[in-house]
Amino acid sequence: MKILMLVTLNALACFVLFYSISYTERYSKRVLFYFLFLLMLAGLNGVILAKELIWLFMALEVASLSAYGLVAFGGEKPRLEAALKYFVLGELASLTILLGMGLIHHKIAAYLFIIGFGVKAALFPLHLWLPDAHSAAPSPVSAMLSGVVIKVLGVYALWRTIGFYPPTLGLLSVLGVLSILYGGFLAIRQWDMKRLMAYSSISQVGYIVLGLSLATPLGIAGALFHLFNHACMKGLMFLTAGAVEQKCGTRDLRELGGLREKMPVTAFSSLLGSLAMSGIPPFNGFWSKLFIILACAQLGQLWFAVAAIVGAILTMAAFLKVQRYAFFSAPRASLQEVKEVSWTMALPMLCLGLLCLGIGLFFPTVTARLINPAVVALLKTKGFFAP
Amino acid sequence: MMKPLFYFSAFSLGIFALASLITLLVVLYSIKYRAGKKHAFAYYFYTLLSLLCVGGALFAADYITLLLFWGMMGIPLYRLIGMDDTEGSAAQKALLMVGGADVLMLLGVGIVTALTRSFQIGAVPLMLNHPYAILAFMAFLSAAFAKAGVMPFHSWIPDSAKAAPATVMALLPASLDKLLGIYFLTRICFNIFMIVPNSPMSLLLLAIGSITIIAAVLGALVQHDLKKLLSFHAVSQVGYMVLGIGTGLPIGVAGGVFHMFNHAIYKSCLFLCGGSVEQKAGTTRLDKLGGLAKAMPLTFIAFLIAAFSISGVPPFNGFVSKWMVYQALLQFIKINPYWILPLLAAMFGSAFTLASFIKLTHTVFLGQPSEGMEKVKEAPWQMWLPPLVLAGLCVIFGIFAFQVPLKYLVFPSISNYRLPGIWQPNLALVFLSIGLLFGLILYGLGHVRRVTVRPPFFGGEKIDEEAIKVHGAAFYDAIRGWGMLGGLYRAAERGWFDLYNWLRGISFVCSLVLSWLEIVLNAFYGLLRLNLTFLLLLIIALEVAVELFLFRLGEREILTSLAGGAAALTLWWLVAKLRESQA
Repeated sequence: MKILMLVTLNALACFVLFYSISYTERYSKRVLFYFLFLLMLAGLNGVILAKELIWLFMALEVASLSAYGLVAFGGEKPRLEAALKYFVLGELASLTILLGMGLIHHKIAAYLFIIGFGVKAALFPLHLWLPDAHSAAPSPVSAMLSGVVIKVLGVYALWRTIGFYPPTLGLLSVLGVLSILYGGFLAIRQWDMKRLMAYSSISQVGYIVLGLSLATPLGIAGALFHLFNHACMKGLMFLTAGAVEQKCGTRDLRELGGLREKMPVTAFSSLLGSLAMSGIPPFNGFWSKLFIILACAQLGQLWFAVAAIVGAILTMAAFLKVQRYAFFSAPRASLQEVKEVSWTMALPMLCLGLLCLGIGLFFPTVTARLINPAVVALLKTKGFFAP
Repeated sequence: MMKPLFYFSAFSLGIFALASLITLLVVLYSIKYRAGKKHAFAYYFYTLLSLLCVGGALFAADYITLLLFWGMMGIPLYRLIGMDDTEGSAAQKALLMVGGADVLMLLGVGIVTALTRSFQIGAVPLMLNHPYAILAFMAFLSAAFAKAGVMPFHSWIPDSAKAAPATVMALLPASLDKLLGIYFLTRICFNIFMIVPNSPMSLLLLAIGSITIIAAVLGALVQHDLKKLLSFHAVSQVGYMVLGIGTGLPIGVAGGVFHMFNHAIYKSCLFLCGGSVEQKAGTTRLDKLGGLAKAMPLTFIAFLIAAFSISGVPPFNGFVSKWMVYQALLQFIKINPYWILPLLAAMFGSAFTLASFIKLTHTVFLGQPSEGMEKVKEAPWQMWLPPLVLAGLCVIFGIFAFQVPLKYLVFPSISNYRLPGIWQPNLALVFLSIGLLFGLILYGLGHVRRVTVRPPFFGGEKIDEEAIKVHGAAFYDAIRGWGMLGGLYRAAERGWFDLYNWLRGISFVCSLVLSWLEIVLNAFYGLLRLNLTFLLLLIIALEVAVELFLFRLGEREILTSLAGGAAALTLWWLVAKLRESQA
């Protein structure tokens, strides 16, 4: 489990840092950016490796605080507002977690943890900070936030803390299903590329929580695999959104168009990412969704399976919308001069895109080497919480 | 023990052989048709990828392999339809409908594997008497229907007809997707589940088949675009396959399956001919086309044979399979006399198909050459040979239906097949030939040839010939005006019968309602945000409270206080920045 999380986190961070080299050229305080970024990375690694709850909490605070700073990076007003919102809700969540730590021997602590980590994981209805923070943050930060932060600080920390505590599993399933549907339905409404992806993240975290809360080996495998896959594909999607934003100066899908010809590498990576997000075989997203839906059906939870299917179709609709408006359609007059991004940005995107395809094609190897050991480990894990 | 991933049957091998032949012909055709177009590598790559997917899905022995290849078909579909299109809406719609139905298939697989405890396809045929089984059946059905383009999952086909190149239409919706969809339909009905004739599911299939035939052919009648008209027929003809399979009777299944083979042949032939016309004449609009028979004789012959086949004119292949479907429906009436409507739908559908192809052949190839059509030349051999080969197959599959295709392709897959009634294909052929000969003799003997041509006049004054020229494109436009039918046409044109639009509408309403919920939830945060100083104090106070009341002095308190201090600092910095930016 820890190995899976560490691999996911640090592999994505590696790609994103490489991408940041030319992305951050526009900022004057680049040192501060990398300082905060690495501090956040250290905090996330700390959360994964923490042996005691108190150290988990400390690492979580380090990661969260640097994440607030990163969202605000650049200092424009929408970013500061988003960071403030993230801060307020995130700190209230931290307080709830702290309260839960104080009451660790009572049953109520489990629910406090769910609320606290639920905010960090952006589960519906605790997701309010996410659409603002993810769309306002610089793209490499959004990629990290969506790709790993919500999962490490939210989902992983929650399971490390309470484990498979039976009374809460039903509640978590319902939260997962609601997140899937809510995120999906709001994603298809958005015209801001990054906001669309942010809502889609809520939906995908819903899949992970749903899969884990089923507490069957297949469901957990699906959830962990989806966690890994989602880090790849959502990270990729945010990086492509950043590339588009940098070159075209806008993220509004209505003002974009025809980038298929202008930015071929970005378009190709974005296509790979969109197909993976849509859950089309043989991409990786297909397999993890398949596992989760099969696990729901095998438990006889047909409504969960139906919700997961509706969510998958909505995700497909949302990402095909991105493809259609940004990359298909006729090029705008204002976008005639648009060029492809520099190779330091293109390479990570292309690598992540091919990774999405590669993981999908060689999924038996990936599940056998990476996922199954994690499932076994997770099933053995006893949470810190002991009522 | 590792179970084999693939399973080869005579039936699936036959389908794959036909799919490969059609792909080969389409690739040959594309050499000239796609010459000088961009993305050549991607075009051929996706073309071959779709054949690979078809093979994988046909031979899949377990559900996972099936799902993999079946869903993978969506990628070439999406990319090929969007290849020349600058708008992207047709490709989006196609992938959303087909891919969405594929996701539904996951539900079916989930239920079936949970019920049978096996991932092998058709390990234990399920009876359709349990609600879960029926739900799984529906889920599978929608996937097969979306792939094959049966109503109500059909609307991506006419939409992509305009955007996609003709070769793509000939390859995917007309043949490969249809072969795969109907193949899977037979697996669903007789392998994964057991359809009993006259059971509710059988009647459902019959109803869907009848509606598909009639509604799509009525849509085809009034089309003014060559490719779009053909695409409506690609929907209508699937109805026959569904009808045949839906009867659950051996002859019906054989007829439906045979019709699937035939349809792939003649429809890809028609689309390829359409492509030649499009390239040589520069348009697919029927009101611009006309009189191309002399300029493009080979294309015309191929088109004519395929048109006769699709209309069910003997001795071509479409007739034989349709005849078998009729037989099945007649037998079905003996079982359930109230279900005579499918038979009527099938017969009228055939008549309307003929009517619409009379219009099409007349407007494109016969009549006076329209403006700008004088310079049209025959297509190069790469473009006329594939349609002619397919047309030749139409003839062979028609005349030697029982000797070749049915014997080797269809009957091996259908157990306990017994041929009902009297069927003498050779006798029919003899009668037909006698009839034709008789007609020719009459034509030769009569005075038909001795016609004098005079300029038309009215009241002693000559009329401009152009003014009285009738153009076939307007045939049947009159039915738009017929009361209820006219209303239905107008509704159809506005997209009222399109499932895609309905689902889009529903999801729009849902997302609108949820976005209001989002506003309400944000209002709670808005309350907190009202006063920043108060917020700062609130968070610090809460933190201190938790520290004081819950923790005794020690390591934990020091650590959490540190965290609290850092949080307060961050907040102070954020608020300061925010004030700065406001100022």
